[in-house]
Amino acid sequence: MIAQLTSSERQYSAVILILLLMAGIAMAALGKADALGVQGVIVLLYSGVLLAFVLSSIDKPEPSEDRQANYYDDPIKVGIVLSMVWAVFGMFMGVWVAAQLAWPNLAFDAAWSTFGRMRPAHTTGVIFGFGGNALIATSFHVVQRTSRTRLAGQLSPWFVLMGYNLFCLLAVSGYFIGITQSKEYAEAEWYADLWLVIVWVTYLVLYIRTLARRKEPHIYVANWYFMAFIVVVAMLHIVNNLAVPVSWGHAKSYTIWPGVQDAMVQWWYGHNAVAFFLTAGFLGMMYYYLPKRAGRPIFSYRLSILSFWGITFFYMWAGSHHLHYTALPHWVQNLGMTFSVMLLVPSWASAGNALLTLNGAWHKVRDDATLRFMMVAAVFYGLSTFEGSFLAIRPVNSLSHYTDWTVGHVHAGALGWVALITFGSLYTLVPALWKRERMYSAALVEVHFWLALAGTLIYVFAMWNSGIIQGLMWRTYTEDNALAYSFVDSLLAMYPYYIARAFGGLLFLLGTIVGCYNIWMTVRMAPVTAQDHADLPDRRAAPGIAPSPAE
Amino acid sequence: MEITHDTLVAFSKSWGLFYLIAFAIGVAIYTFWPSNRRRFHRAKHSILDQDDKPWR
Amino acid sequence: MSELFHRKIERTAIGFVVAIIAAASVGGIVEIAPLFTIPDTVEEAPDMRLYTPLELAGRDIYVREGCYACHSQMIRTLSDEVERYGPYSLAVESKYDHPMLWGSKRTGPDLARVGGKYSDFWHVAHLSNPRDVVPESNMPAYAFLARTPLRMDDLGLRLAALRAVGVPYTDDMIENAAADAYGQATPDSSYSEGVTGRYGEKTQISAFDGVTTNVTEMDALVAYLQVLGRLTDVAYGRTAASEQAPDPDQ
Repeated sequence: MIAQLTSSERQYSAVILILLLMAGIAMAALGKADALGVQGVIVLLYSGVLLAFVLSSIDKPEPSEDRQANYYDDPIKVGIVLSMVWAVFGMFMGVWVAAQLAWPNLAFDAAWSTFGRMRPAHTTGVIFGFGGNALIATSFHVVQRTSRTRLAGQLSPWFVLMGYNLFCLLAVSGYFIGITQSKEYAEAEWYADLWLVIVWVTYLVLYIRTLARRKEPHIYVANWYFMAFIVVVAMLHIVNNLAVPVSWGHAKSYTIWPGVQDAMVQWWYGHNAVAFFLTAGFLGMMYYYLPKRAGRPIFSYRLSILSFWGITFFYMWAGSHHLHYTALPHWVQNLGMTFSVMLLVPSWASAGNALLTLNGAWHKVRDDATLRFMMVAAVFYGLSTFEGSFLAIRPVNSLSHYTDWTVGHVHAGALGWVALITFGSLYTLVPALWKRERMYSAALVEVHFWLALAGTLIYVFAMWNSGIIQGLMWRTYTEDNALAYSFVDSLLAMYPYYIARAFGGLLFLLGTIVGCYNIWMTVRMAPVTAQDHADLPDRRAAPGIAPSPAE
Repeated sequence: MEITHDTLVAFSKSWGLFYLIAFAIGVAIYTFWPSNRRRFHRAKHSILDQDDKPWR
Repeated sequence: MSELFHRKIERTAIGFVVAIIAAASVGGIVEIAPLFTIPDTVEEAPDMRLYTPLELAGRDIYVREGCYACHSQMIRTLSDEVERYGPYSLAVESKYDHPMLWGSKRTGPDLARVGGKYSDFWHVAHLSNPRDVVPESNMPAYAFLARTPLRMDDLGLRLAALRAVGVPYTDDMIENAAADAYGQATPDSSYSEGVTGRYGEKTQISAFDGVTTNVTEMDALVAYLQVLGRLTDVAYGRTAASEQAPDPDQ
């Protein structure tokens, strides 16, 4: 990890960690008995462990002079490992909370293990832990390869990665001890939010500086999506999390937004977290790893540009479809609905672009489970964006909202699209990064693929059924114009589906564990030893392009 | 003039629509500008090249 | 021209960032900014009162335990919802809510108007073990709330923080926050009168969890649940349903 840092960079990192350690002490001192004190201890331990690591290897040999001649892959490797660790944790929490809905006594009469506290641990674990680390790792990889330049910082990639994981750790540990803002997908409290702003600005600066150093004349479209992901998530995060803490010694804060404005801001955030965290960033992955793995260029580059701006522009309007028939003014609901339907155009353009790229390579899709991961992800992307536009239509939403249909929709996207494109990308990336010939076991990739697909389908079908039944039961009238079912009747009808859903989730989790094993064994394999292409610098210049003035 | 909810809403909606159209036209022009064809073609194929070392 | 422009912003990635912000910020601005002029058009609720310190503590526990993940507090303008849960929710009813708890999922029923529908005793039994009261329920048991004393020393700070974001708590309320919380959960104590004096005659004074010797988190949460939908009666005048605000004394 530290071998590529010069001794002064190692000293800087020690200084940063000491500052962080002091921040942890301050939090613990200010917080005292409040939950903030516990969070302070976590900061203290986290920075302490990293500091011990840095100090223990501070005297190791310095990197050679020509480190600029190589890509900076160490942070990517660590990011992949962290991503998979979070995946197992987050999905395990998911299976557990799903099981609790079927068998409520699985909370064991403790406070930390109740559904309400564990649910954000699941969502944060998978979205920010698994998804976020995968995005950071792949974005570092893609930006270097497509720009033909090394990352524009030695320490900052580590700061971004480790700082981001501290945020995730603070958020998730906080939920268990009762720290939450209650804003869905933005539950972390004010101090963690402030920390994330620092980390995220560093990420943005690093990314911009790396792009500015590029040797290619044009910024490849995958980077556009990663940039949109970084920039817009910063905007969303700051606006939605504006809050006044109870005191400097309290973890608790109150958002500055009241009632109806808070609802709009929250779902403007919530929906665009889906758009720019769970869609834009992963489209960036798709636009790089899918063509790379298929060995074919993207079907239409122009289409990818058009759909990029379409997604960037349209998504921002769509959040209010989460608030149909509520106290939010009607015209805002209508705008949200209209743009949600229009969103289908750029979304299907992206999905179609991915699938058409595979035209002529379908035999590879058949034989290569890694490529199949990405192909099925594109299909699920198309399906769930269609479903999303459909559910945003007011009358449809009157049935689906508040029911499991929404949960099914989210998981069609999260499992079918986000997780599958990530696994496909990681299976492409891992052998390339560790310079192995291939993954340890192609058969295990195949096993993972079928577990993941079966799990997703069982999950989504269970939730479709339960959601639609639930919605219909709530609105069914008897002949004498009374409501036909009590709420408890509708809950009773859900149990079989809740069991099926937990089973589907379990299959998906097992697939992920298989994936972890496979990646671990690949890392342990012997590297490609031959003096083949790997060690010969590619000195070809871009045709007809002058070198950029930055170098 | 007093800024009421209605005027603000009317302004938002009309201006937003205008912005949408202008933006769409701008993007379309960029995408289909003839001299960009070569850049896009190169970008599309260049990711398939060898990428083991940064260019110097 | 457009092409030249784009080439320029593309050379420096910063220009590209600006373009992304320009594209992405419009939707939010258009939809959110006008909402701040909403008081122009929205209903008024002159009778609306603030959460008492005890109810606020209960609300914070509701947030802490993630109750919003399974219970909405937003009755939509649909006839079956109005029939099942009561008059549809109005924007003004959540004007003191930081954050709003409209929710997005009903694994359990909507709670926007649950206040006064069940007795304190029912709530305590239900929260302690939902399956004792509703055998089919899949709600977690919250027995630990009755075992946990309520932290009251910081209630004044909480009220002050809410005042900083616009909730009109007075100095008097902030000063007496802890005493008011104690008084509301301890009927017949000398502190109870202060609560009704500051928050209105309708404020429910009760030994919510049935025990008056100490104030627990159970007291606070039940006090909050009992006030849901009852900060103002304005919604009952606006809906076609001939319902009346629940009256705990009848």
